[in-house]
Amino acid sequence: MTEPHDSSLAKDALGSSGATALGAVLEDDLSGIDATTGGPVVGTKPRSLWSDAWYDLRRDPLFWISAVLIVVFILMALFPGLFTNKDPRQCDLSVARHIPSPAHWFGTDIQGCDVYARTIYGARSSILVGILATLGTAIIGSAVGLIAGFRGGWLDTLLSRTGDIFYAIPLLLGGIIILYTFPNQVGTPYIVVVLKVVAALAILGWPSIARLMRSSVLQVMPHDYIQAAKALGAKPGRIILSHVLPNAMAPVMVVSTINLGSYIAIEATLSYLGIGLQEPAISWGVSISDASGLGYVRSAPFMLLFPSLFLSLAVLAFIFLGEASQNAFDPKRH
Amino acid sequence: MRRITPLVALSISGVMLLSACGQDVAAPNESSSSTASAATGPAKDGGTVSIRGCTPQNPLIPSDTNETCGGNVLDAVTAKLVHYNSDTAAPELDIAQSIDTTDNQHFTVKLNPGYKFSDGTEVKAKNFVDGWNWAAYGPNAQQNSYFFEPITGYKDVQCGDDDCKVKPKATTMSGLKVVDDHTFTIDTSEKVSNLKIRLGYTAFAPLPDSFLKAPTDKKWQKFPVGAGPFTITQNTATQIVFKKNPDYGGKFKPHVDEVTYKIYNDAAPAYNDVVANNLDVTDLIPTDQLTNDQWKSDLQNRWGIRQSGVFQSITASSKDKQLQNQDLLKALSMDIDRPTITKQIFAGSRTPADGWVSPVVDGYKPGVCGDLCKYDKTKAKEMYDKAGGYKGTLTIAVNGDGDHKAWSQAVCNGWKNDLGLNCQLKITPDFKTLRDQITKRELTGFFRTGWQMDYPSIENFLTPLYATGASSNDGDYSNKAFDAKLQEAAAAPDEEQANKVYQEAEAMLAEKMPAIPLWYVSTPFAWSTKVTNVKLTPFGTIDLTAISVK
Repeated sequence: MTEPHDSSLAKDALGSSGATALGAVLEDDLSGIDATTGGPVVGTKPRSLWSDAWYDLRRDPLFWISAVLIVVFILMALFPGLFTNKDPRQCDLSVARHIPSPAHWFGTDIQGCDVYARTIYGARSSILVGILATLGTAIIGSAVGLIAGFRGGWLDTLLSRTGDIFYAIPLLLGGIIILYTFPNQVGTPYIVVVLKVVAALAILGWPSIARLMRSSVLQVMPHDYIQAAKALGAKPGRIILSHVLPNAMAPVMVVSTINLGSYIAIEATLSYLGIGLQEPAISWGVSISDASGLGYVRSAPFMLLFPSLFLSLAVLAFIFLGEASQNAFDPKRH
Repeated sequence: MRRITPLVALSISGVMLLSACGQDVAAPNESSSSTASAATGPAKDGGTVSIRGCTPQNPLIPSDTNETCGGNVLDAVTAKLVHYNSDTAAPELDIAQSIDTTDNQHFTVKLNPGYKFSDGTEVKAKNFVDGWNWAAYGPNAQQNSYFFEPITGYKDVQCGDDDCKVKPKATTMSGLKVVDDHTFTIDTSEKVSNLKIRLGYTAFAPLPDSFLKAPTDKKWQKFPVGAGPFTITQNTATQIVFKKNPDYGGKFKPHVDEVTYKIYNDAAPAYNDVVANNLDVTDLIPTDQLTNDQWKSDLQNRWGIRQSGVFQSITASSKDKQLQNQDLLKALSMDIDRPTITKQIFAGSRTPADGWVSPVVDGYKPGVCGDLCKYDKTKAKEMYDKAGGYKGTLTIAVNGDGDHKAWSQAVCNGWKNDLGLNCQLKITPDFKTLRDQITKRELTGFFRTGWQMDYPSIENFLTPLYATGASSNDGDYSNKAFDAKLQEAAAAPDEEQANKVYQEAEAMLAEKMPAIPLWYVSTPFAWSTKVTNVKLTPFGTIDLTAISVK
């Protein structure tokens, strides 16, 4: 059921075009039947893909677990002060590597900084990088995929091959090269440091989204309502915005959500290698990097454990959300 | 100069000297109980041992190797006029029978007969004179050629320009003369009171006739021929194998027959191999294993720690106008909590510095730095405010490949907390990048400086580092009175008096600081259950003559 994206639009179309009307009627007929059970559904309004997905999501425990985690992490990123009143940069070397205690819930690190405070404040970098990199890849990738799929021809070939070139560069390797080439100077503002990492991920991450977008555009294009819109003389911009994009977005959203988790992991990896975020920026990757080393793992495992745990939870939350939405958007289920 | 390579710097750390031990010239050898008894036990001859090594960066020619990886190899292969005592670092005559002088400017060297190179030829006076002339000759571009600088005529054998388009005026130094097969004389252009100590450095090793005939032959780069206790039989990318030199004629005979120098790129695998008894000795313990003394429990009765002649400091860039303010520099020095950092970051294995000279050398005087090296945050804050503070972000530049982040971060944090200044690290990817930026004077703020002695003398910690225009004067320090004192000391009639004057010179550094002293470094080391009598020299290298198989 990947037809018109919202019922009101379908109703508009009803009055204006016989061809779409037919489609809409057909849709009404079909949506009266629950695809999962096969039996008739009584008393439900015809649902669009989006409301259908929402309907499914609400019943998915995976969604609620990930949603709660994500809300907590976003709160952490926006208002770390809600969770801790300690200053993550206030370190007392004389109490370095202290085990977890009421004063330091997660213990202290090598420098004597509070691990709990640093873990909470570290969320901001990861979430910021994750969300911005996802937005970046989604915007670039969707735009390229839309144009390639919609226009076709030589432009499609050009864009697809360009995408292939970038796709061939491993994300981590490319990220290392880019960040190594443009190192941070002392006094570089925090947001610039973050944006550099985001830019590296966006430059290397867009082709997969573009491919996805292109193929779903190609899937949507032959449909009757597009043909009808074309026949009616709608401009390409209008066709894209009101017909193609809404119906081709779902896979991109699902994959982007899953990618968000992996971007957070890659940010941590780059920071661990010392080329992503760096001191004085606080990030989970930096904390993990500082706490790693077999000797530290043995003498003060909590330094490594807590930032790693938060990192894993954040990555997991976004992957769960992606998984849940994948199930919800899966046309086979309806 | 031997700059410490990052890998070595990574794990070099210090003996925790208690205040009472601080004055010992001969560094105390803190180690596990069994060592003491093992050290006194009779050493068995024969057997093979494997020790941790690293990849030599330069050709294995004595005058071309200036880093520790290659230096360790050459130390085993070469014998010099003078040998440094492996416990006290005191110079002892080795190939030389006597080195006589009346005025510290004209020296007569008599050689012991009977020393042979590993190719069977005898060590004669001309092997020294020709070898040194070859090493000092500009077009040969030897990295250690500046060691021959004091010798008369050194300037005449140097190239006229950087690319050596203008050839030197002479091919030999006029200050070196062969008298007979076992005697030669050295004249220096100025008085040098500690020449005898300097002559033990690797660059002064004699070179065999076969080398002097064909110095460009590639085989010398991997298989040097020396008059030392060992000779190289195998040299690959993964290991270097030494065999006892059958022709060795010196007093420092090794107990073992064969030594395998296994190349490791990282401290952790070498450490794990020693724990598992797959490697016999490592002089590199990962810093993270030092915490909570874990390594001591991993290595019951087979660990040791030895103070070595390494001094670490941070130097203010001469480009940074604000840091030329001595009051500011002193305030910053006072606000470094050296005892806490050495305890918490280095797990008590480095010693807070109390001057600019390592305690292992002859001429060390405790407490030269005085209050400037004692942590006093209220006084520091007072001085800092009076000096006008530091505007902008103060940076400390360190190399990222040598475990320097933790301590520099701690210094930065301390300044931030106590003085309220803005401090940030500048981490370069590797040691070479940092050195390049320092040499090109590109940095501002502070940068890390470390010095491993070339020869055990107080002079080696002062002249090359802080004399005006000296080769390793990274901070462009210039102090006329200090320069004059150094010259006075060099001209002193004997070493004792020279050391006294050098100490006076060092005291001047507390008036006008060239660098902020941080700590003295020592080397923790460990060995397998197979070997005994494991010792480190004051240079932090494994003593191959003492080690024996159980």
